[in-house]
Amino acid sequence: MNRLVGARVARINDPRLLTGRGTYVDDISLPGMLHAVMVRASIAHGRVTRFDATEALADEDVHAVITPEQAMARTHELPLVWLAPEQRHTRVPVATDEVRYVGQPLGVVVADTRASAEDALDVIDVGYDELDAVVDAEAALADDAPLLYPEWGTNVVASYDIGDTGEEIEPVFAGAARVVERRLHVQRLAVNPIEPRGLVAQWDAGTEALTVWISTQVSHHIRDHLAIVLGLRADQVRVIARDVGGGFGCKEHLYADEALACLAAMTTGRPVKWIEDRGEHFGATFHARDVVHRARLALDEDGRFLAIHSDILGNCGAHASNVGTGPFRISSIMLPGPYRFERAGTTIRGVVTTTTPTGAMRGFGMQEASWVRERLVDEAARELGVDPVELRLRNMLEPGDLPYDTRTYQRYDSGDYPEALRRVGAEIEKRSRPSEGRIRRGIGVATHVEFTGLGPSKTQQLVGFHLGGFETGVVRVEPDGSVLVSSGVVGMGQGIETTLAQLAAEQLHVPMSAVRVRLGDTATAPYSASGSIASRSMVVGGGAVVRAGARLHERLVRIAAHRLEADPGDIEVEEGVFSVKGVPGSSLTLAEVAERAWLGWNLPPGERADLEEKDVHDPENVSYSYAAHAAAVAVDLDTGQVRVEDYWLVHDAGTVVNPMIADGQVVGGVAHGIGIALHEEMRYDPAGQPITTSYLDYVMPTAEDIPDMDVSHMCTPAPHIPGGMKGLGEGGTILSPVTVGNAVAAAVPEIAERLVETPLSPSRMWTLMHEAGLHDETGLDDETGLDDDDPTSKE
Amino acid sequence: MKPAVFSYLDPRTVEEALDALGEHGDDASVLAGGQSLVPLLNMRLARPEVVIDINRVPGLDASRVEAAAVRVGALVRAATVEKDPALADALPVLADAVRHIAHPQIRNRTTIGGNVAHADPSSELPAVLAALDGAVVLRSAGGERTVGWEEFFVSVFTTAREPEELVTEVVFPVRPELEFRWTEFARHHGDFPVAGVCLGLDVEDGVVRAARLAATGVGDRPVRLREAEAALSGAALGAETARAVGELARRAVDPPSDVHGSGDFRRAVLATLVRRTIDTWPDRSQRGQRGTAA
Amino acid sequence: MKAETREVTISVNGREMTRRTEVRTLLSDFLRHELGLTGTHVGCEHGVCGACTVLVDGVPMRSCLALAVQADGAAVETVEGLAPEGELSQMQQAMRDEHGLQCGFCTPGILMSMLAAERAGVSCAEACGDVLGGHVCRCTGYQGIRAAVRRRWAALPAARGEETPA
Repeated sequence: MNRLVGARVARINDPRLLTGRGTYVDDISLPGMLHAVMVRASIAHGRVTRFDATEALADEDVHAVITPEQAMARTHELPLVWLAPEQRHTRVPVATDEVRYVGQPLGVVVADTRASAEDALDVIDVGYDELDAVVDAEAALADDAPLLYPEWGTNVVASYDIGDTGEEIEPVFAGAARVVERRLHVQRLAVNPIEPRGLVAQWDAGTEALTVWISTQVSHHIRDHLAIVLGLRADQVRVIARDVGGGFGCKEHLYADEALACLAAMTTGRPVKWIEDRGEHFGATFHARDVVHRARLALDEDGRFLAIHSDILGNCGAHASNVGTGPFRISSIMLPGPYRFERAGTTIRGVVTTTTPTGAMRGFGMQEASWVRERLVDEAARELGVDPVELRLRNMLEPGDLPYDTRTYQRYDSGDYPEALRRVGAEIEKRSRPSEGRIRRGIGVATHVEFTGLGPSKTQQLVGFHLGGFETGVVRVEPDGSVLVSSGVVGMGQGIETTLAQLAAEQLHVPMSAVRVRLGDTATAPYSASGSIASRSMVVGGGAVVRAGARLHERLVRIAAHRLEADPGDIEVEEGVFSVKGVPGSSLTLAEVAERAWLGWNLPPGERADLEEKDVHDPENVSYSYAAHAAAVAVDLDTGQVRVEDYWLVHDAGTVVNPMIADGQVVGGVAHGIGIALHEEMRYDPAGQPITTSYLDYVMPTAEDIPDMDVSHMCTPAPHIPGGMKGLGEGGTILSPVTVGNAVAAAVPEIAERLVETPLSPSRMWTLMHEAGLHDETGLDDETGLDDDDPTSKE
Repeated sequence: MKPAVFSYLDPRTVEEALDALGEHGDDASVLAGGQSLVPLLNMRLARPEVVIDINRVPGLDASRVEAAAVRVGALVRAATVEKDPALADALPVLADAVRHIAHPQIRNRTTIGGNVAHADPSSELPAVLAALDGAVVLRSAGGERTVGWEEFFVSVFTTAREPEELVTEVVFPVRPELEFRWTEFARHHGDFPVAGVCLGLDVEDGVVRAARLAATGVGDRPVRLREAEAALSGAALGAETARAVGELARRAVDPPSDVHGSGDFRRAVLATLVRRTIDTWPDRSQRGQRGTAA
Repeated sequence: MKAETREVTISVNGREMTRRTEVRTLLSDFLRHELGLTGTHVGCEHGVCGACTVLVDGVPMRSCLALAVQADGAAVETVEGLAPEGELSQMQQAMRDEHGLQCGFCTPGILMSMLAAERAGVSCAEACGDVLGGHVCRCTGYQGIRAAVRRRWAALPAARGEETPA
């Protein structure tokens, strides 16, 4: 039988993407199409007192200007998806005259061209009553902080505890031989897929139907929420995602500006295109991270972990986003990682500030949790004088401990966590390189367990996540023997079309070339509430395709056996040809089987005519990937520059369907994380103006930042997922920032204690090293560059 | 992110260009390579009424190597400077510095005149010009003048060019008695540097006979570090000199803080660049082997 | 104020095309929206991401930093011209074999830069360094792209494929 699962199969959509024949949303052009631009708030906090579009409307190129007042009158509030206990708001307006961040959409201009729409934008006069800004979450808690929602009497939008708290956990810390405590911070990030957001909306007044082509990870979710905010029935809205130029989490819900662009199409009766530009992206697309952890790790005298706890203060931005405090919750539940703890827990406070809301991004909460836990563990090792690999192994869950129930409600499924770390650790010696002069070198490691394949609808209900956690796969063999796979997940570069095709082709014993995968269109795809988020497309969506494909295959075998007058058990299938074992010449092609089946002729008794199987897969648990990473870095003591010189990792994502794609997901994830570790930071000035709004100020990781890395896989199947897959789109990003951080700590132990926040940019590194006395400005220190191999010799 | 409305003129002679500037100067932007201007147009941070595209003006895209100076036409592309063997021979530091400007896709368009006229305080060429005591040739319908770098660079994005004037040539004096090196530190190769230095030394038997030192990224315009130069003259090359001169450089500047770091950080990077450049200065006997950047 | 327009004639991938366009129209927008050649992508419109890179008279440049009027009379090459018969070019094939693309949005610009680099005879190290440095890819982590460049350069006639940077 052909083995497609586990094979390095070339991606089926590459040829069109490589030849410029893809269809990204800005490639779509409809007759009579107009262009929208958003009127956005230019201040951080206040109320719109004047919105005068008279001059703009006088221009014959301008077809409409939707004012905040009109937008408010014509839209309903947008429901938030992930609600914390007693979260202070659960819906947010699509349009409002109350401004709470720079870039907030206020209205829409629609004109003949993008440029003329921007011309109109220039002459729209918006006046404000301005209020004080508050950018920082800690500042937002101050007694005299400006309140974003005065009716709340606070800027805290939600607060709750996870796991062990208070009297359950404090005695453990009180009695511990050692407690490592730090205030750690993960910076605010802009997500930055290279294709910005955008859509083309078309309102058909005859059928009263809205069709929206949009760059999204979640077609059905967009459809449902568009229907709500525009006052339409779900069946009136069709949402289509064609080629998506990257998502990384920021395209996983409906934004207010997207709803307003659709409103513009309905208002003008003409197709309307709205494309976010890069400048807008930095203010209009939800940011991520921006969280402070006051975290503690308790150990006994033998270096055994007793407890871990963090007080989490998360900056939600101007309002709870669709996921609200979700990232802080995920940080909490995954804080224990692969280790044994007697007690583990967090307290969470989500705070509103006059900044762009923070939402989902690759590594959702887990990157922050890893930064916190693995820095604390490394600091413990340093304080104890124990090898960091050894300390981790001493505390790690063994394969025999699994399945394992954590103190934070997770049931880890399968794997060998210590083995991954041992394999990574075994490389350290041979990859280590000496320091030279003012260049210090060091190697760091980190490990984690990852929550992937967001599912169990029942779990989503438990945590207040108002989307279904299932996926549906439909596999159909057409009368000509071609295979069509439909799923509700969305392709955005992760290669899901190819891997779903591999699964279906393997189940049906047909070549890849026989399979077409259709995704992204709510008119044809099965319903998917959650879409392609949370490393779930392959796990949950793939599991459905495996089961649907297997069932369809069984039926095809039965039908073929009936036609060949053989027992189904005697049927062999190879490359789409059904034959009877030991009976040469007795065979039928898939097309021959399918053609008759679709006629309803020659079916075995009780067999249905259509060759289509649909499977609804609501997994019984999420699946837990895990990994161990190591980085070798060089730190320039004088410029503060950190270079990642070497990187290697062992990752377990269960069954690897396509090793080439799997490696690409992991490597790309690590690169994203190296950007977080070293460069990326979304910043505001005290008045709430974003100051990193171009790629000159927001530094993206480029090729020179990312070494070629070695990725190896352990493949422990998820026991509860058809096909055994676990998620792998985010693991690289989750672990690489802290792996780099730990490597920097190893290289420059003088600053290890204070390596608590990213990015480790040259200026931050320089400042830390300067304050640690690693620079001598009198020019009198000895820097012969000959005796610096031992990084501790200067202490 | 689309440019505001402007009128477009693409003169076919220098005279036409100067006439256009004479007529529209105050409201016009000169479009040369466009690698700085067009982003500003796209973001509508620049809103000229008239864009005067000089790319079709003949005669501005040639370089001349003369005994005393390399005269680079305003429209000469960075990529051309990088690859021109005659320029490399006469003034190798120019190509060294140019290679740090962004990436080939940008350098194929960037012009020497445009780069200098834009006067970005972190740009490489202004500092090279400063180190060499170079000048900029400005022409208007009324005539031509040559303005020394010190007068030309006024402040951030501000030069002594009058609205009706066109930068036609950039003059990089050749100083054969000195060997020059460009060293910079940037987040990535090709990013605007945190700081960059152009150092020229005349060294004999390990002793500096003459020195020129200029820096970028550490103020509102390129700076000559004359105290450091003075300290270098007569000093023996070596770690001690390197440190002392680096320290003088650090004390000579007071750059502002920005998103890429504090003023103190920039000063320290400057000191490091100066120190390392001197530290790794090749002996005369090894001349021709230029060292690597920090 | 009414936008000024001009007639612009460009030879794109060997085919001459004429359109009247606003003088402020960027070359990227002209190719995409007036000529319908949407393979050239726009990612940042300030010259950093490199997705819009095309060749103008053989020279790779950012089409978002050039006005369409500036390309009047020029020969422009875009990603649509790389596989005119439908068969992937060697660089395209290498990108596919080495998983040098994921979402594919930045890919056309990289392909055009590499085409120019190949023609200019730059080394593999320079192609992976300075040339690739002019592109931002959020998906791949660049490793697959470098592998593709190495594969392509190894197949070049001269000994240019020998240098293989890490």
